[in-house]
Amino acid sequence: MSDTADRVRKVTADVLKVDLGRVTDEARFVEDLGAESIQSIELIAAYEEEFDIEIDEEEGTAVKNVGGAIEFIQNVLDNQ
Amino acid sequence: MATYKNLTDDQIKTLTDQGCSALDWKNIQVADGFNPVRARNTHFSGNVKIGSLSGNVAGVHGIEKTSGIYNANIHNCTIGDNSRIANVGVHIANYNIGSNVCIENVGTIQTNPNATFGNGTEVEVLNEGGGREVILFDQLSVQYAYMTCLYRYRPQLTANLNKIALDYVETVRSDQGTIADGAKISTATEIIDVNVGPAAVINAASSLVNGTILSAPDASTLIGPKVVAKDFIIAESAEVTDGAVLAHTFVGQGAQMGKQYSAENSLFFANCEAFHGEACSIFAGPYTVTHHKSTLLIAGLFSFYNAGSGTNQSNHMYKLGPVHEGKLARGTKTGSFSYMMWPCSVGPFGVVLGKHTSTFNTSEYPFSHHEARADGKCTMIPGLNLTTVGTVRDGAKWPNRDRRKGKIKRDLISFDVFSPYTVGKMIRASESLKKIYDNTDKSIEEVSVGGALVRRPILRTGQKFYRAGIHMYLTEKVFSHIEKAVEAGDISHAFANAPTAVYSQDWVDVGGQLMPHDRLFNAFEALEKAANLEECTKILNDIHAAYADDEWVWIKHAYKDVFGTDLDNATKQDIANVADEYLKARGKFLRLVVGDAEKEFDELSHSGFGQDGSPQDIDKDFTEVRGTYQDNKFVKEMQQKLADLEKTVAEFKTKLEKL
Repeated sequence: MSDTADRVRKVTADVLKVDLGRVTDEARFVEDLGAESIQSIELIAAYEEEFDIEIDEEEGTAVKNVGGAIEFIQNVLDNQ
Repeated sequence: MATYKNLTDDQIKTLTDQGCSALDWKNIQVADGFNPVRARNTHFSGNVKIGSLSGNVAGVHGIEKTSGIYNANIHNCTIGDNSRIANVGVHIANYNIGSNVCIENVGTIQTNPNATFGNGTEVEVLNEGGGREVILFDQLSVQYAYMTCLYRYRPQLTANLNKIALDYVETVRSDQGTIADGAKISTATEIIDVNVGPAAVINAASSLVNGTILSAPDASTLIGPKVVAKDFIIAESAEVTDGAVLAHTFVGQGAQMGKQYSAENSLFFANCEAFHGEACSIFAGPYTVTHHKSTLLIAGLFSFYNAGSGTNQSNHMYKLGPVHEGKLARGTKTGSFSYMMWPCSVGPFGVVLGKHTSTFNTSEYPFSHHEARADGKCTMIPGLNLTTVGTVRDGAKWPNRDRRKGKIKRDLISFDVFSPYTVGKMIRASESLKKIYDNTDKSIEEVSVGGALVRRPILRTGQKFYRAGIHMYLTEKVFSHIEKAVEAGDISHAFANAPTAVYSQDWVDVGGQLMPHDRLFNAFEALEKAANLEECTKILNDIHAAYADDEWVWIKHAYKDVFGTDLDNATKQDIANVADEYLKARGKFLRLVVGDAEKEFDELSHSGFGQDGSPQDIDKDFTEVRGTYQDNKFVKEMQQKLADLEKTVAEFKTKLEKL
């Protein structure tokens, strides 16, 4: 989980071009990290790339904060 | 046909007593029922024939007044029954004026010898350097113009279409113009060599020279204040008003133009809307819309297009003339202050944002998002716009906004957003993105796709978007086909092809009419030999009528390629699978659209609301103005569709099981 969490945070910081320190579990992508709608798409694509998974667009866009993304991705990985 | 007689001495006396004069009274003839009391202060010259002048006629503003001829100079005119001509400053010369016409407070209305009324005008459309000229004639359709303009690689086709157009021009050439029955003209300064159709309204136009205003009693055309138009044709139920300035321009049926819009060497077809901005050498297919100031459309091909404010295009990077062209496929939107440098091609339903100083061709990547980087290069997310609210709303709004009235609709329009044309592109685009992705090393951050930069991970995202769109279209179409058969209790012939259907993997969009590529190319030979306009029109109408049959054949091929199921040999289980896939694909699409709509109600959308109030007032203000997500009409509609979908599929499967 910790490896997944670290990788999610790093990808998030890289795509949204924010300081890694701001990428807390509670940080919301739109309101706190300034993700615009296009960046949300890029973020999902980057997670897919990083973890070699496919994220359903409908489920992916329902995730609103970093902690949720970590949990979501871990679930996908666990169910592979 | 009215019969006319020379004036009697009593009639001449009455006319003379009322201030009328004539160069030669013998050349003035009148119909039965002519009342000389209804002609005052008018000078007649040349051959003049006047109808009965007995009743009343309504003017531009609807007020009924007595028919008659007052304060005018009439030269070589025939004036129908019950018409009113009043206050003609200079003259009306060489016109056949119909019945129930009202002409008031005008300057000069005149036809010169050999007038063609805008017919025969060569419009240098699409390529500013010339070479794609379209000959105007008053029966021009978007398809006819498109083929003349775009298929120059078929010189025989161009030659024959031009010949037919020029033959037509000769049929309208005349020394005498027409102001047809029921037309109303008020406060127009100058109308020279202009044919005015039945029930047309010209109100306070400044200058109309060499043109035709098509109109019909059930499809009245309006030319409004301060319009200046030269070498033009304006079709039925169009409205050109408020200082529009046209030169070498065609305005199609139901089109609207005004608020000082200026257009030169341009063609606007059915239901276009053009206000405030400027057009130069554009081919505006049906539903091209430009509403804002500082918007310049130039040397471009458009249809179902929406130009944001300040949209600007240029083709200045040339050495031997302005040769470049822009091609924005149907459904494209350009955002505020977007700039594109030609040559550029955008695929159907693309969105273009920002200032693009490098050229790109993404015509094979429909529904894509294009955004310019700071260095002017285009970045693209393929297929992003597939599930946006805008796409869904566009698909619904166009048929509802068809302003063409009357029986004749010259432009053939295929409204479908999802069709073999767009979905075929999705299939090819998806394959292409996969190939690029598979052949791109992970260390590479972005790749060029037709000159647009795509981040490598997005190559997968694009495939995912397209896959969703392809599945939704195919399953929906197959489901709706089989649903009818299941309802009828016989599925044995449910997937049969129409015997005359044509299959082409590639489809084309001929100015708003979608058709298999082979249909078009098979038609070329007939079009190249067509003797007249009627033959050309029939060929295109037949293709249009075959759309559903051709689409079905295409769907079956595509379904086999995508899902591996040959529908001609489909089992009940295969059909049940179609229903399951349809529920999945359509359901997902609807939920994504609803999700997109939800963004309109999120916290960021509340920004700016609650003026001078407390933080709590922000939400209150927003709700008062925008309503709530739950109560939004569009959202409710989508949710209802979702609920209906589940019910429909469940019922279908129950019926299928019983067969």
